[in-house]
Amino acid sequence: MDLTLNETQEMFKKVAADFVKAEVPTHQMTQWYRLKETFRPELYRKAAEVGWVGMLLPEAYGGAGAGYTDCAVVFEELGRGPVPGPLFSGGILGAQIVFEGGSEEQKKSWLPEICKGNWIPVPAVADIAAGWGPESVETRITKSGDGFVLAGKKRFVFDAEAATHFIVAARTENGEIALVLIDRKNAGIAVDRLIGFTVSAAEVVFDQARVASQNVISARSGWSILDAALEKTLPILSAYQVGACQEIFDFTVEYTRSRVVFGQPIGRFQRVQDHCVDISIHLDAARWAAYETLWLLDSGQPAKAGGHEAKAIASEAYHHACNYAHMVFAGPGTDYGHPLMAHSVLAHTLYQYLGTPAHHKRLMMDALFPKE
Amino acid sequence: MDFNLQQDPPELAEFRREVGAWMEENMRGGEHLRWSASWSTRENEGEYRFRRGLANKLGRKGWLFPMFPKEYGGAGLTMDHQVVLETELIKYGLNLSHVFYTLARIVAPVVLKWGTEEQKREFLPPLTRGEISVWQVLTEPQGGSDIANCQTKAIRDGDHYVVTGQKVMVGHHVPPDYLWTLVCTNPQGKRHENLGWIHIPANLPGIEIQHMHLMMGIKNAIFFDGVRVPAKYLVGGENSGWKVANTHLELEHGGDGRIGVDPLVERVVEYCQKNAAGGKKLIEDDRIRDTIAEMILELNTLRRFNQRNFYHRFARKPHPYGGVQQRYFQRMARLRNGERLQQIMGIDALVQDLSVHEVVDFEYAVRTGPGQLHGGGTLDTDRLVFARRVGIGRPIVEKAPETI
Repeated sequence: MDLTLNETQEMFKKVAADFVKAEVPTHQMTQWYRLKETFRPELYRKAAEVGWVGMLLPEAYGGAGAGYTDCAVVFEELGRGPVPGPLFSGGILGAQIVFEGGSEEQKKSWLPEICKGNWIPVPAVADIAAGWGPESVETRITKSGDGFVLAGKKRFVFDAEAATHFIVAARTENGEIALVLIDRKNAGIAVDRLIGFTVSAAEVVFDQARVASQNVISARSGWSILDAALEKTLPILSAYQVGACQEIFDFTVEYTRSRVVFGQPIGRFQRVQDHCVDISIHLDAARWAAYETLWLLDSGQPAKAGGHEAKAIASEAYHHACNYAHMVFAGPGTDYGHPLMAHSVLAHTLYQYLGTPAHHKRLMMDALFPKE
Repeated sequence: MDFNLQQDPPELAEFRREVGAWMEENMRGGEHLRWSASWSTRENEGEYRFRRGLANKLGRKGWLFPMFPKEYGGAGLTMDHQVVLETELIKYGLNLSHVFYTLARIVAPVVLKWGTEEQKREFLPPLTRGEISVWQVLTEPQGGSDIANCQTKAIRDGDHYVVTGQKVMVGHHVPPDYLWTLVCTNPQGKRHENLGWIHIPANLPGIEIQHMHLMMGIKNAIFFDGVRVPAKYLVGGENSGWKVANTHLELEHGGDGRIGVDPLVERVVEYCQKNAAGGKKLIEDDRIRDTIAEMILELNTLRRFNQRNFYHRFARKPHPYGGVQQRYFQRMARLRNGERLQQIMGIDALVQDLSVHEVVDFEYAVRTGPGQLHGGGTLDTDRLVFARRVGIGRPIVEKAPETI
């Protein structure tokens, strides 16, 4: 047993932390979130240059061949930003879907482009607002000429505005689920930003959008490919949320020392201390759930239940950490110019992204105790 | 990171085989006591004797405190060996860190840290060999969580301390050999500088023990009436009891860590597979599955906090707030799980089942939710200590004491 990071991971952590400090200073980051300008192409390019895009993939495909924990250490630091953009959605999950389900030819021609940051393949899965299982896939795919056409409306596509391509889950005429890659520039695709207490979220409409037959990743078993990709990547997203919780914990504790009210630092008040305790519990619950699952993945053990558990705990943790921080920061924390607001909006968005905690708890139970 | 508890470094394979075979031999006839972990509030004499006997056998091999030096009754082994021992015991529902009713798990490390060489040589072997049972007796009627407000006096008189006072809500149903306690050695002294820590033989004249029947089972009140305790039993020096208390409390308050799985979920699932409503097994019902999922998440979080604390303790890198965080979370989770059990199995959650050990008895789990909210200090003191360890509300960040 050794619950510390190894030397390489410590180095990855430092490089990522320095990157966040240099490229995503807090005042800049809060502006991006306030203005909803969360896709920063130059940032994505730099991250790709360092090797964080497609980090999990083998070097033969242009990836970094990194272990799961190695990759998570980087994403934890990115979460501290919180560094916006499709680093996870396209660079990790999208890349992994292609790796899990693509033909050798597709992998050889697509993955190097993805790893260089030239292609950003963003998954578009659920058509309905509340649901992420196979039942949420309603967009239809039908044969047309020597290719296919897509028709449907994906209600919540995270990082859609950054996409160069979408990986679309679509229902075939037989009711099966296909996965296809579609160029965002194709005719018949509209991306409409969702406005409200959410960020980097858009609705994507496919109106008879054409898909070339060589861009079909899977004609029938798209869902199992998606599942396999999620099993390996949900803990990375969880680590990103862990980093965000750590940042919230740190700046909240700092605030309890500097903010003076009623003639003393607010940290003197035990009720304020209690909010910090609650943040720490959520933070550490998420941290150890994520890293235990990452260890399972790194050591080749079954991690399906663990991945769902980690996503459920981490999304709840991020959400609650923000809420407790709001209790401490009160008014100033509600200013869109305050870093807490960037976290708060993102935490609510990630709570929904790829399924709510309730959804993942059910999937965890199904993995542990399959229904008859 | 390596969370593994089962795959040992190659040089430990032989040790695991040895421990496994030894446990099999020594548990023979006691297999039905599976999950009879460290502590039971049920007055089961057979179980108590079996556990104490097993502790003694383990202790004679140095296996109760495998990382302690041999001269103090340990085995001079490594953390990997400790993990092997723990995990082999877990197969029988036992836990090394709890050492079977003796409380040595807390007392021995504190003596190792604060005792003089003479005290270590005299006090440690009976503890580390599992020969004696010690009660920690800290709570006083007026003090509650504020144990530094200690009214039990120990006044020096020649070669002895004369102890007078009262402790409450301590111990269990079988009388102890020693009482491990905080006393006031200087009634005129300043708070925290007026205390002593003392190891009192329980058979000295002037000690009276009376059972208290509480929500969580039998505890005791202890009366000291002019008890003459030889001065050699004072640990940590004159008026220096508070530093000893800090080490003791860190271990008591979650900092000791542990590895192992709470068996409760396993039994809940078993219940839900056996019982049905409207022709449908409970385990097939989505609402019940959702409730079980919440229990699993919290018990897994607790398991991970425990393992983290275990690692930090034995790697000698004390976690700043891990102990109190675990303890606060454990108590709140236990309380929530009590309610979840009631939601899942209705009145069955409130009816005692003597056919199973109490660690998996639903009634015990529900009752001890509120019943164990305060042992060793309230939830509020947990959070208070947390704040100090993180440095909230005070300019100084309080350090976690190092323990072994």
